[in-house]
Amino acid sequence: MAVDWAEKDDGELLALIQTGSHHAFGTLVRRHADRFYRLAYRYVQHRETAEDIVQDAFLKLWEGPYRWQPERQSKFTTWFYKIVVNLCLDWRKKKRPEPLPEQIQLSDERERPEDAVIRVDEQRRLETEIAALPERQRTALNLCFSEGLSNQEAADIMGVNLKALQSLLMRAKTTLRERLGE
Amino acid sequence: MSAMRDEKLEEMLRQRRVESPSVNLAERIILKAQSTPQSQAAPLGQSIRRLFAEFHLPSPAYVLAGTLLVGFLVGFNNPFDSTPADQPSAPSAQAFLYADEDAL
Repeated sequence: MAVDWAEKDDGELLALIQTGSHHAFGTLVRRHADRFYRLAYRYVQHRETAEDIVQDAFLKLWEGPYRWQPERQSKFTTWFYKIVVNLCLDWRKKKRPEPLPEQIQLSDERERPEDAVIRVDEQRRLETEIAALPERQRTALNLCFSEGLSNQEAADIMGVNLKALQSLLMRAKTTLRERLGE
Repeated sequence: MSAMRDEKLEEMLRQRRVESPSVNLAERIILKAQSTPQSQAAPLGQSIRRLFAEFHLPSPAYVLAGTLLVGFLVGFNNPFDSTPADQPSAPSAQAFLYADEDAL
């Protein structure tokens, strides 16, 4: 009987990965690679680097599948977010941040060119100011706004309580409002 | 730009641009994993934790309640001076405890 890999949940796939199943690993990667790429991209703002970080994270999981301990971790994605965030932060410590790309694509073709220019300029300023935020504030913003996680999930990933996370978000937003409003 | 409103900032944060990943990102990772050896042995600490996880210890509340229940059952079934009337010669605990005193 053929195994329907897509039907298996993350926990089942991880248990199979611990037995050396490449099929399970492939299913998990295909299911989550884009999500974790988006998170990494928001930190590094560079496609190849973000892809390398996601690849490293998944290969670490493959090499040491027993890092995943279902009795200690609640959810695979929560645990793996932590791994990707840590790899992104490590990368930022090692490398000097690269300048943001000059060419930001104009995604909406119906938009008037002058509006598009203003929007692109705002985006560029926003990314610059986010990159200048303290590490934890940046992580809170990335998880809550860009990844659409709930505050509680983001707090779990960051290992802080809910109030601390809300405080980080508030401080980050206040700083951004002040800097972008200048 | 005047003082930015909270809603506009949140909207901008939600709409941050992300460059699309390579179409073969997942396949590249999978291919790389196929040539990467896997560490099969679970760490010692984890093995021990898993072993202990097989033995579930009851919670203290259940232990206390169970002990009390057994105590009451035993107590009701064997009251302190429940020597049957048809067995007058059976030594009761009370008689035994006071035996020396009587002798004195």
